[in-house]
Amino acid sequence: MNVLLAVLWKDLVSEWRTGDRIVSMLLFSVLVVIVFHFALPADASQLLQTGAAGLLWIAYVFASVLGLNRAFALELENEALSGLALAPADRGWIFLGKAAANTLLLFLVQAVTALAFALAFDVRLGAVALRFAVLMALGALGLSSVGTLFAAVAVRTRYREVMLPLLLLPVMIPILLGAVRASSALLERGALPSPELRLLVVVDVAFLIVSFVLFEYVLDE
Amino acid sequence: MQAGVLDRAAAHLRLPSLLALLAFSAVYAIAVISAPEDAVQGVIQKILYVHPACAFAAYLGFGLTALGGALYLWREDEQYDRLALASAEVGVVFCTLVILTGPIWARGTWGRWWSWDPRLTVTLLLWFVYLAYLLLRSFTEGSTRAARFAAVYGITGVLAIPLNYFAIDLFGGRAIHPENLGRGSLGAGMGLPFALGMATLLLAFLHLLARRLELESLRARDGFPEPQARSGPARAEGSWPT
Amino acid sequence: MTNAAIAARGLEKRFGPVAALRGIDLDVPAATTLAVLGPNGAGKSTLLRLVAGLARPTAGSLRVGNPGDDRRRTRGRVGYLAHASFLYPALTARENLIFAARLYGVLDPRRRAAELLEAQGLAAVADRPAGGFSRGMAQRLAIARGLVHDPSIVLLDEPYTGLDRAAAHALTERLRELRAAGRTLVLVTHELSRACELADRAVVLARGRIVHAAEGPALGLAALEQAYLASVESAA
Repeated sequence: MNVLLAVLWKDLVSEWRTGDRIVSMLLFSVLVVIVFHFALPADASQLLQTGAAGLLWIAYVFASVLGLNRAFALELENEALSGLALAPADRGWIFLGKAAANTLLLFLVQAVTALAFALAFDVRLGAVALRFAVLMALGALGLSSVGTLFAAVAVRTRYREVMLPLLLLPVMIPILLGAVRASSALLERGALPSPELRLLVVVDVAFLIVSFVLFEYVLDE
Repeated sequence: MQAGVLDRAAAHLRLPSLLALLAFSAVYAIAVISAPEDAVQGVIQKILYVHPACAFAAYLGFGLTALGGALYLWREDEQYDRLALASAEVGVVFCTLVILTGPIWARGTWGRWWSWDPRLTVTLLLWFVYLAYLLLRSFTEGSTRAARFAAVYGITGVLAIPLNYFAIDLFGGRAIHPENLGRGSLGAGMGLPFALGMATLLLAFLHLLARRLELESLRARDGFPEPQARSGPARAEGSWPT
Repeated sequence: MTNAAIAARGLEKRFGPVAALRGIDLDVPAATTLAVLGPNGAGKSTLLRLVAGLARPTAGSLRVGNPGDDRRRTRGRVGYLAHASFLYPALTARENLIFAARLYGVLDPRRRAAELLEAQGLAAVADRPAGGFSRGMAQRLAIARGLVHDPSIVLLDEPYTGLDRAAAHALTERLRELRAAGRTLVLVTHELSRACELADRAVVLARGRIVHAAEGPALGLAALEQAYLASVESAA
C-alpha cells in the first residue's frame, strides 16, 4: 500500500514539475476537437447531438494512448523501470500506483476536453456534469488499467509507441461501447442507464484484477 | 532444451493424424457435395459446413494460446510457450477463414457484405487480437521476454473476448446471424455434413497445430548447440551479443 | 556452501539461441568481496543481473541470501549499482532517495535520505533536480540510492567508469567501509588493480564461463595479470 502511494506520489510530482504528459495530452485533445469541427459537415448540429458522446470518447481513447506511452517512456530514462523491478515490493502495488496516476491525469484531460467540446459545439453538459464525471472516471480507470499493463510491455518492444494502440484498441472495445452508449443516454435523457454502467464496472474490475496479477511478469527481463 | 510431453506427443501423432485427416476430408467432401441444396439460399448455404467449424477452431486456438501462456508463466517450461505460439499461428488462419466466409455467406443471403453482426464483429476483434499477439512476438527482442509478454497479452485477450461479446451483443450491431444453435434446427440431410465439417476442421486444426509445434521444438533444439568437450579450459561455442 | 551468501550451480542464462552464461559454479561466502573480471561480452553484467533478481536463470540453480528466501526477499537484501542510475531526473536528490526508501520499505525514509545525502556529500544539492547533476554527483546519488536499504549484499557493475581520481578514491573508501561492516560485495571491474586492492577472491569470465579463479597470494597484481591474459586468450 505504501508502495502504491509512493509510486503515485512520484508520478504526480514528476508530472507537476515537468508537465510532460499533461500538456501534450491536453493540446492533443483540444486539437482533436478542432479537427472534428472541420471534419464534420457545416450543419452538423443534429449529428452532434447524437454523435457527441462517440466523438468525445474517440478523443479520450487517443489522448490516453498518448499519455500511457509517455508514462513509460519516462521510466526508461536511466533504466528507472529496472530500478522498480529491483524493489522487493509486490509489483501489483507498483502497477496500481502507476495506473492510479494515469487515471487521474486522464480524468483531468477528459474534463478539460469535455469543456472544450461543450463550448465548441454547444452541447449541454452542465446539467449532467456530475454524472458524466462518473462515466469519465469509470472509462479512465478501465483504459488506464489495461493501458498501463500494455504500455509497460509495448515500450520495451521494437516499435514502442506504435505497439500500444495495436495491443490496446481491440481489447478496450467493451469500455468504449459501455462508455459511449451511457454517455449518449445521459445526454439524451439525463439519466445513467444501468446496464451500461454495470458493464463498465464489471470490465473495470476484471481488467484491474488481471493487470494487477500479470504486472508481476512484465517487469522481469 | 528438454523435449516436453507436448513436443513428444506432436511427433508421435504425426502419421496417425495425417491419415485421419485425409480420411475425414474425403468423407467430408463427399458429404458436402451430396448434401441437398437449400431451397431459399441456394448453394451458398453450403458455407454452413465450413464457417461455424472454422469459428470454433479460431476460438479454440486463442483459448489454447492463452492457456499455453498461463502455463508458461506458472511453470516456466518453454514447451507451453511453443504451444501458445503454434496455436496462435494456426488459429489466426482459421479466424481469417471465418472473416472471409462470413461476408460471402452474408452477401449471398442478405445482399450485404458486412453488417456489424455481433458474432462476426467479435470474431473480427479476435482477429485483431491475434494479429496484435503475433506482432508483439515479432517485435520483442529476446525470446524469453517475447514469450512472457505474449503470455500476458494472450491472457488479457482471452478475457477481453467474452467481454467484447457481452458488450457487443447487448449494445452494438444488428444481429443477422441465424439464431439456430439449437439441435434439430438444421434441415434434413444437413446434419451429417455439418458434423463431419466440425470433426474434419477440428482435426485439421489439431494436425496443423501439432506440425507447427513440432517445427518449433526442432528450432528450439537446433538453436542451442552443445559445447564440445575438450581438455583444458572449456571452449564455448555460439555467438554472443557483444 | 551453507554459509555462502551467493551460491550458483550450473547456472545458465540464454537469450534465445545465444548463451550469455553457461555452467557457472560459484560460491561467495558472506562478508567477503569477489571481483569479477573479463573481457567485454563475457557475461559479467548478466551474472550480476541474475544475482540481483532482475532476470531468471534458464538452467541451473542460484541461491542469493538465506536458503529458502523467495525472489522478493532476496531483492530486499541486495543492492545493485549498475551503469544506469535508476534516478528520476525530475525529482530532487532527496526525493529520489525518499522514493527509493519507500520502495524498499525503509522505516523513516526522510531521515535515511538525509543520512545518505550527508554521507555522500550531497547535502548542499539535496533539493536540486537530479536531472541537472554532473556525472560525479549523479554517480554518488546512485550509490546512495543503491544502499538506501542497507543491503547485506552489494553488487557493483563497473562503478569506477568515468570517475575522476577524487571520486574514485571516495568510492574505494566507501567500499572498504562496507567490507569492514561485514557486507558481501561483488565487484565487476576492468581494472585488475582495483580487484587486487579490494577483493578477497577473483574470478575471470570469458565467453560465459569461469576460466580462472584466484585468491590469497595469487591475487597479487602481476600474477593475476598473467593468469588473466592467459585464460582469456585460450578461451578466445
